[in-house]
Amino acid sequence: MKRYDCLQSIAALVGDAIAVSSAGGVTLEWSNVRPSDANLRVRTLGLCSSIGLGLAMTLPRRKILVLDGDGALLLNLSSLPTLGWQRPPNLIHCVFVNGVYEASGGGRNAASANADLVAIARGAGVPYAVWVETVEAFRQEVAAALDRDQLSFIAARVEPGVRPGLKSIETQAVENKFLLARHIERTEGIQVLAPAYPQH
Amino acid sequence: MVSTSSAAVDRTSAAGPALVVEALKQAGVDFIVVLPDQKLARLHDLLEADPFFTTVTVCREEEGVGICTGAFYGGRRAAMLIQNGGLFVATNALVSTAIMYEIPMLLLVYYAGDLNDRFFPTVGQYTEPVLQALNIRYWVPREAHQVVPTISGAAVLAADAARPMAVLLTKPILGE
Repeated sequence: MKRYDCLQSIAALVGDAIAVSSAGGVTLEWSNVRPSDANLRVRTLGLCSSIGLGLAMTLPRRKILVLDGDGALLLNLSSLPTLGWQRPPNLIHCVFVNGVYEASGGGRNAASANADLVAIARGAGVPYAVWVETVEAFRQEVAAALDRDQLSFIAARVEPGVRPGLKSIETQAVENKFLLARHIERTEGIQVLAPAYPQH
Repeated sequence: MVSTSSAAVDRTSAAGPALVVEALKQAGVDFIVVLPDQKLARLHDLLEADPFFTTVTVCREEEGVGICTGAFYGGRRAAMLIQNGGLFVATNALVSTAIMYEIPMLLLVYYAGDLNDRFFPTVGQYTEPVLQALNIRYWVPREAHQVVPTISGAAVLAADAARPMAVLLTKPILGE
């Protein structure tokens, strides 16, 4: 199973969900299958689940889709007990498990050996956590999670590799911030960015 | 936290923690990520007991930078209440998320190892140099009357400058 095919299978399902994606190939692939101002590209490895938690807690009516990698999640495993404590019902945590540090040389990670990320998520208090082995199962689990209103963790076993020939990401980091912040302001009717020059 | 609850009765009634709460309210900071420290316990108790604040306890401080970032996008003003050792843990996320993406957040950092604080002198030694290296502006209120203007001012400055700002909280200010 390829990560790109999984992502493509859910692109039309997720509507205006805010997608927070991990540094690495998952962001490149996601931005090609669902180009949107509602995408946030995370550059700190592992932090997407924590950023997703902050979004989910403060925008409770919005679906928050976290697109994580196994190497990244292993770097921020402590986010799982925090998620399992807060249990934001509008957050869907997808982890693509390819067993390697794909973006940093391809060396094996602990998820390729004896660590079971779904068991870890369950043990951390995440109420719904499953493995999926096929694109169709992934699509069905994400569709069900979008309807469920319960914190969900979906781990998809995929083969390593980034789909070739994709359009590179042109958006710069701060541009990404402004696009997402303005998108949230428009769609949620809230103010995110402080007014420029508040005294004038 | 539970193990310190019996000691809470014996703690001094110094006004510091209440002043921090007042400053946060004045600046509209209502989303607080916490990783408790013994010296932060009274302040933490006040924040948790006050419905004005949403508090999230994390397991590791780097998570907190992410959660504050998410809360920023959700339209909230966010702060982290941590120890200075935890500031060191959070540096990677501060650099490649908070600073790189220009996300405002207030770092309220217990200054262990400060003068006349015999906890963690090594951590104390590196606290200000690390903040300087990160180019994060910081202040150290020494008198009770400085607490509210320093913290509320730093929070407003963080929003205006779209960067993290830090206030170091000493043992006397925390009333410990």
